[in-house]
Amino acid sequence: MNPPAVRRPRATWLRQAMSFGSDAAPPLVFRDVDLRERPDHPEQRFQLTVQAGTVVVAIGDEDSGVGDLGAWALGLRRPPAGRVEVFGAPIGALPYYDLLLFRRRIGYHPVGDGLLQNLSLRDNVALPLRFASDHRLAEVDERVNQLMDDFRLRAVATMRPAQVNEEDCRRAALARAVALDPDLVVLEAPFDGLTSRAAQDLLDRVSRRADGARRAVFATVQDLVPSVRKTVQRVIKVADGAAVEEAP
Amino acid sequence: MTAVVAAIGRSGARRLSVLGGLARFALGAFRAAGRLTRAGRWVTLRVLINQIRFTALQASGLVTFLAAILSFLVISQTIRQLGRVGATDLIGTVIVVAVIRELGPLLTALIVVSRSGTAIAAEMATNRVMGEVTALEAMGIDPYIYLVLPRMLGAVVSVAALMILFDAVALISGYLAAALSGMHFPRYSNIVLTTLSAKDVWLTLAKGLVFGAAVAIFPSYHGLAVKAGPTEIPQAVTRGVVATIVAIFISSAIFVVIAA
Repeated sequence: MNPPAVRRPRATWLRQAMSFGSDAAPPLVFRDVDLRERPDHPEQRFQLTVQAGTVVVAIGDEDSGVGDLGAWALGLRRPPAGRVEVFGAPIGALPYYDLLLFRRRIGYHPVGDGLLQNLSLRDNVALPLRFASDHRLAEVDERVNQLMDDFRLRAVATMRPAQVNEEDCRRAALARAVALDPDLVVLEAPFDGLTSRAAQDLLDRVSRRADGARRAVFATVQDLVPSVRKTVQRVIKVADGAAVEEAP
Repeated sequence: MTAVVAAIGRSGARRLSVLGGLARFALGAFRAAGRLTRAGRWVTLRVLINQIRFTALQASGLVTFLAAILSFLVISQTIRQLGRVGATDLIGTVIVVAVIRELGPLLTALIVVSRSGTAIAAEMATNRVMGEVTALEAMGIDPYIYLVLPRMLGAVVSVAALMILFDAVALISGYLAAALSGMHFPRYSNIVLTTLSAKDVWLTLAKGLVFGAAVAIFPSYHGLAVKAGPTEIPQAVTRGVVATIVAIFISSAIFVVIAA
């Protein structure tokens, strides 16, 4: 009798991505990070730990440096001092291709929306599933259909970003951020231009994994609409380069 | 004096650095093929087919027109001059060496650079300026795989196919010019086939590969190197196209040396 054929493991890419960090470690830690690019305030370094399953929002003015936190969390840039750990791994120190793999564990919504202008909203949402996962085409289609329904994008699925309103773009960008069902989502200014109801609805969807469990969400904003505060566990005000806890 | 030497050294170092960057970029683009995901392969194939439609199919009319005109002009002028010294048999050498081996690949590559090289450089630069490249990297998608690889494969296939088209049209048009000077088809075909060798076929294919890769890699490299903003896009397009043309001419000269 022939031995059973060895089946190729399914989410190979995701498995490789998981190999860089530890599930036991907090999803995101900013350790002694200098927000103001001035190394003369060692006593006022930014410290923050985002625990698994929590929604943490950092608020700050444009010149507070809060806008850098998202890029540092993704390893797109390195902080001038201190380090950022994602699932225990120092993300800024990883080589480029390891970093690309590792980022598949993290959902990201950049300032604006970062949608590719020459793709439809549906193709934008499908992008990480097609190029950053090992799913079959049918599985990609199934997941994208589910996301289009969840984020109420069905009616505008075939349109390009320039053809739809800001809210639909934001919905598509957030759907894309959670397409790979990551344990951590980093959002930069995700509520700009949204009504408080839409912001609440979207944050609620983003903070839940496909199996219904809560995922860690870290958002950076300049202003926080009151309706969103219900879903947020921690609000951090960034002032003078340091984190000041606020009541959600 | 030392300032002049320093300036020359700086300029040389800058050029060497660009060459190094280009070599790394080209290697990255080739290696990207091995990292394509299962679904990504299908999407890349779709993009590749689109790329071939834009690069090859839409340029085929222009290539046909230019090949017909060029070959007709070259052969009708040459046959007249050669007829005076009774050496019309040499038109085989002219059409194979001058038109098919050298001018055909060069002109085809230049047509593709002017149509698609500019488009590739502008598209890449826009992707960079709009933050789309960063968005891809943030999703864990290798920009080489998504942006460069399909364009490179598309350009290679398209340039090679257009070169074959150019050669075929040039041979037919060359015959029309020869026929107007009184040469019959059996003699024309005999002269051309005697001169044409297997080397010409592999040289055409090799040039298709090299020129095609250059048409995609140089504009992509300069397009993705944009940093400051939209005002850099036209400069990147110019740099990409000029670099491609220079690379095509240099590699054409290298092919002459290799073939000799």
